[in-house]
Amino acid sequence: MHEERRAQLGQHNPFVDVAAYLFLEDIGDKQGAAGMNNYLMSLATSLAKSMPKEEYLNWDDFLRSLEKGESIISSFEEVKCPTDNCVITQTCPFTRGWQEYTKRIGEFADIHKEVAEYYNATVKPGAVDSQCIIHQTFRKAAAERITVAGKHVKYAQIEAVTPNADEKRAPDEWLPILLDKAGITETELNMTMRNNDCVWILYTD
Amino acid sequence: MLDVALVSLIKNMSEKAGIEGAIQYWSRVGENLAKRIGEEAYMGWPSFNVALKEGRTAYSIEGNVTALTDLAITDVDGDVVGYIYALEECVFNPTIERIRYSVGEIPDADKAVAEEYNNTVQNTATCNFCVIHQKFRSEVSKNITVENQVLECVQLANRGFKGDTKIAIRSLEKIGINPEYVRSLLRNYACVYGILMKGARLRGKEEAE
Repeated sequence: MHEERRAQLGQHNPFVDVAAYLFLEDIGDKQGAAGMNNYLMSLATSLAKSMPKEEYLNWDDFLRSLEKGESIISSFEEVKCPTDNCVITQTCPFTRGWQEYTKRIGEFADIHKEVAEYYNATVKPGAVDSQCIIHQTFRKAAAERITVAGKHVKYAQIEAVTPNADEKRAPDEWLPILLDKAGITETELNMTMRNNDCVWILYTD
Repeated sequence: MLDVALVSLIKNMSEKAGIEGAIQYWSRVGENLAKRIGEEAYMGWPSFNVALKEGRTAYSIEGNVTALTDLAITDVDGDVVGYIYALEECVFNPTIERIRYSVGEIPDADKAVAEEYNNTVQNTATCNFCVIHQKFRSEVSKNITVENQVLECVQLANRGFKGDTKIAIRSLEKIGINPEYVRSLLRNYACVYGILMKGARLRGKEEAE
């Protein structure tokens, strides 16, 4: 997608964003946090599965595609890769929708955080709110559709901060392993999180 | 991203809840959105139109809406009871483009939902998303007053992403606007609707009766 058009697409349709959040809240009202979590995860998985598979000859080709936004895994966000395996999302792709919601509806409904607590307790500890569940599930499912030199790409979450400045970092016992795979130190992670929204890793075994 | 994800679920939703179920779902989304945005009151049409221009009304969530002040809707006494409004770009166009870039094809269920809506509710949908925002507009008008009178919103014409159009001839007759004139508006706008005082004795309506 051309950069100019991509930027333009990121700026429009508050109606759809806000309506989508309310649609999810409707599901939360009816099915509770557990039902909403299932719905969010199937939503994200279904999206990834509807996108074309990818194969790359080597890691450099994949990184190039990732940073240019040509890979399915970076279709919805602008990323940069400070190391071979560390990926940084500068701006959360949900920021705009969240801003429109808070501007037009008011405070973000509690269910968005409650569902993240459920996800952190039952799936994987990495989500701040409902948006992270969609995003992180999508990344995992999208990574599974990509091979580099014949090996499937794997994804892991390190840290996320939402538009309202709530943060979620990987548990202490996981952090050294994840940082080692990312090729950055904890201090570098702290520095990165000052002006970026999400840090994650992609790797193959 | 959220919008593209939801679209990828239309097929799934239609299979599980049926096409009618999908329409009910989308209608509820439009209704909920309208309810959550809150109430508004304006002293007169000029203040409503200025609020619209400045993006302060609930309708502004849809994007750039133009009040076509040369197209006033009048009642049998010749008093202005409303205006025609036009949306520059369909709110779902960016979503549809994002789908084309990231996923590819729009699910067939999109067309199926629109057709069912046209057959069972009103013949004004060019795609499944029309269900959401036509319901939204109709519900949001109930929360707005101009000169202490509750409003109603009437869908008049729209142009789909592929260029297909829908023109609500009967609604246009009621408010006394020539359908060909509205058709020409679609050259520059994606969606045309009327906002007027609920229960107004319209000139065209009286003539039709």
